[in-house]
Amino acid sequence: MSITSRFPLVAVIALSWAVSAAPLSAATLDRGVGPEPDALDIHLAQSLSALNVLRDLHEGLITLDASARLIPGLARAWTVSDDGRVWRFELDPEARWSDGEPISADDVIAGWRRALAPATAAPMAGMLDMVVNARAVRTGRLEPSALGISRDGAHGLVVELEQATPWFAELLTHPLTFPWPGENRSRYSGPFVLDRRVPGAHLQLARNPEYRDSAGVALERVVWHVIEEPSVELARYRAGQLHITETIPPGRLDWMREQFGDELRISTYLGTFFLTFNVGREPFADAPGLRRALSLAIDRELLTQRVLGAGEVPAWGLIPPGMPGWPEAAAADQGTAAERLAEARELYRAAGFGARRPLRAELRFNTSLTHRRMAAAVAAMWKEQLGVETRLVNEEWKVFVANRRHGRITEIVRGGWIADWRDAANFLQLFETGSPLNYSFFSDHEFDGLMSAARTRHGDERLDLLRRAEERLLAEHVIIPLYHYVSRHLVKPQVRGFEDNVMDIHLSRWLSLQ
Amino acid sequence: MLSYSLKRLASAIPTLFLLITFAFFMIRIAPGGPFDSERALPPEIEANLAAKYHLDEPLVVQYGRYLWNIARLDFGPSFHYLDWSVNDLILQGAPVSFTLGLLALLLALAIGIPIGAWAAFRQNRAADYSVMSLAMVGISIPNFVMAPLLILLFAITLGWLPAGGWEFSPSRMVLPVVTLALPMIAYIARITRGSMIEVLHASFIRTARAKGMPERSILFNHALKPALLPVISYLGPAAAAILTGSVVVERIFTIPGIGSYFVQGALNRDYTLVMGVVILYGMLIILFNFLVDLIYAWLDPRIRYDEQEA
Repeated sequence: MSITSRFPLVAVIALSWAVSAAPLSAATLDRGVGPEPDALDIHLAQSLSALNVLRDLHEGLITLDASARLIPGLARAWTVSDDGRVWRFELDPEARWSDGEPISADDVIAGWRRALAPATAAPMAGMLDMVVNARAVRTGRLEPSALGISRDGAHGLVVELEQATPWFAELLTHPLTFPWPGENRSRYSGPFVLDRRVPGAHLQLARNPEYRDSAGVALERVVWHVIEEPSVELARYRAGQLHITETIPPGRLDWMREQFGDELRISTYLGTFFLTFNVGREPFADAPGLRRALSLAIDRELLTQRVLGAGEVPAWGLIPPGMPGWPEAAAADQGTAAERLAEARELYRAAGFGARRPLRAELRFNTSLTHRRMAAAVAAMWKEQLGVETRLVNEEWKVFVANRRHGRITEIVRGGWIADWRDAANFLQLFETGSPLNYSFFSDHEFDGLMSAARTRHGDERLDLLRRAEERLLAEHVIIPLYHYVSRHLVKPQVRGFEDNVMDIHLSRWLSLQ
Repeated sequence: MLSYSLKRLASAIPTLFLLITFAFFMIRIAPGGPFDSERALPPEIEANLAAKYHLDEPLVVQYGRYLWNIARLDFGPSFHYLDWSVNDLILQGAPVSFTLGLLALLLALAIGIPIGAWAAFRQNRAADYSVMSLAMVGISIPNFVMAPLLILLFAITLGWLPAGGWEFSPSRMVLPVVTLALPMIAYIARITRGSMIEVLHASFIRTARAKGMPERSILFNHALKPALLPVISYLGPAAAAILTGSVVVERIFTIPGIGSYFVQGALNRDYTLVMGVVILYGMLIILFNFLVDLIYAWLDPRIRYDEQEA
């Protein structure tokens, strides 16, 4: 008689131990997702983690390849009218929901109507504002049926826009625009279906055999692990429990490079971190010279290499490198460090400040190790180079967001933006008069005029207007660009198909394990 | 005893009511709201969200609605985890936190009481000093230091145990349970030792010794029960705290318990989630303090609540 037959409990414990301590499975990809996704409802999701999971579970008319280039999704072809206002899509007749039902144009129409219905309270509904009548529908002034989207034949779909929108194709890769699965939330249009979800732990996805390109999906399972702390995620990667991390902890880049070599993937990411002046209040209202002085006094190279140390790229402009059609602002264009400092001191004195009467300013940021390091370094540089006395105000997240938005007590605040889509206007809209995102309270006729004109122009003419808008913003020194974000992942060598891209979107559909 | 128990349980209702009222208004006074985020929303969409969650109603109406809902055991939808109700989140997370907490509690009692008693029995000798020194180390090292050390050793260096993640399996539980139990072992050992020393000097123990009773019998039959009273007092609130999860341990080992909801709920201004976990914690505190009183009466025959009241 064996020990296991005499002691069945011993056998059960031994088995469960063996199972739970098993190494990574070849057919299952384990990847970090960051914090718990806020919602898997395509119309309510806002967090990056939710959007990443939703792109595995559902698919839009247009989708992304491994390099995040636009490729046909549920729509196998589309045409755009000459004025850019009418888009006609031809849906793939083979497209099926995971329950085997065909995906129809009506499912897309139902989705958009629900996204805009006031009762849904979709936080991102404003993204569809370019569609005819969208704004009126989401404010309840028109019925959802008035929305500019309609069926055309068995597999056709027509979308009418208020005005040509260059990024409209990319918007269709956002889950907000995906076909609506109906109240039966457990059916999916994407390459995977949700098999099991434990809040705070993981989301387990299984391959969807009904997916239109199921044969091209290599993975049987994907497990997205909810891990909020980058250091915890790193520990689990090192212990062999993850194939791909969502990020890496800040400030350990040299050690990480040495430790992980090619497994460390740092790449350009469309995002910019900046400080924003509240130009509606003293001491920075009507003081572009003073604002420029503070900007010039910051050594971006020192900040990114020595203080932050996670691969960030020094920034001199708002629009990050990698933006299609955008010239890269080079540090060389800003003169030498000595020239910048000399000009900063000159401007500081011209603004009426000096050793006897130093500027007293407040730099406000939300609780985060990276922000605290950044703020301390910036304050030290201002003190050393100009003699500015900076009060650092560290606020809890919601308090910070509320104060920044109201602008009643802010002077200089932590800012930043990550692209929703590859278009410079997505960044520049932050500074338009009346924008809810405008926490600089910048209100400038010239800037608003350029942005407004860009809405009605196309191609190079539009890009030129946007470039001039950025130049105007930078010339007014509304912000101090500090660095451009980079995407940071650890990827095990056996993972295939992981391609760095500026949107940092890596659909599990393109990944496989060797 | 029955009438005492009923009275105690009845008195819990106004306590809970005060707790709910206080927490309800406190969380709403905090600046910022549940839907404030990096990306400020257009006013019309904010209005839609407020209407959906009844946040556009006067505060008193919201309060009345909330009381009515919790009277029906409906804690409402989470404002941050939109796929879940607060009931779902607590029902899924509480068993995890309870399991871990209970195992840690049992481990702490199983180790803390014997070594505390042993240290008392060997007072001022090498064994006593060793146990108390170790206990001091256990209390002094915070779990956010201990947990990564254990992960580094057992998960990364030796590869014996997983670094985190959750399943109801022994290998996943070992490190978090040990991390949670270590400071508790130290506390219980110190409390047991102190109280045991006091009991060992009591007159009834001297009498037992004078009668020639063996030391083992003195220790286990006569000294241990009264010496445990302070441990039991400590266990009431400690059990409520450990069973509702630990923010630090849950984050480091990525355990889906309810401990992190206390902090995340407050940071996200997830009003309903904060209320849910506060009410749960309040109920457990009341329950465990009540149980402690009952155990007191069982351990010490001199304590009789009904007679005292009579």
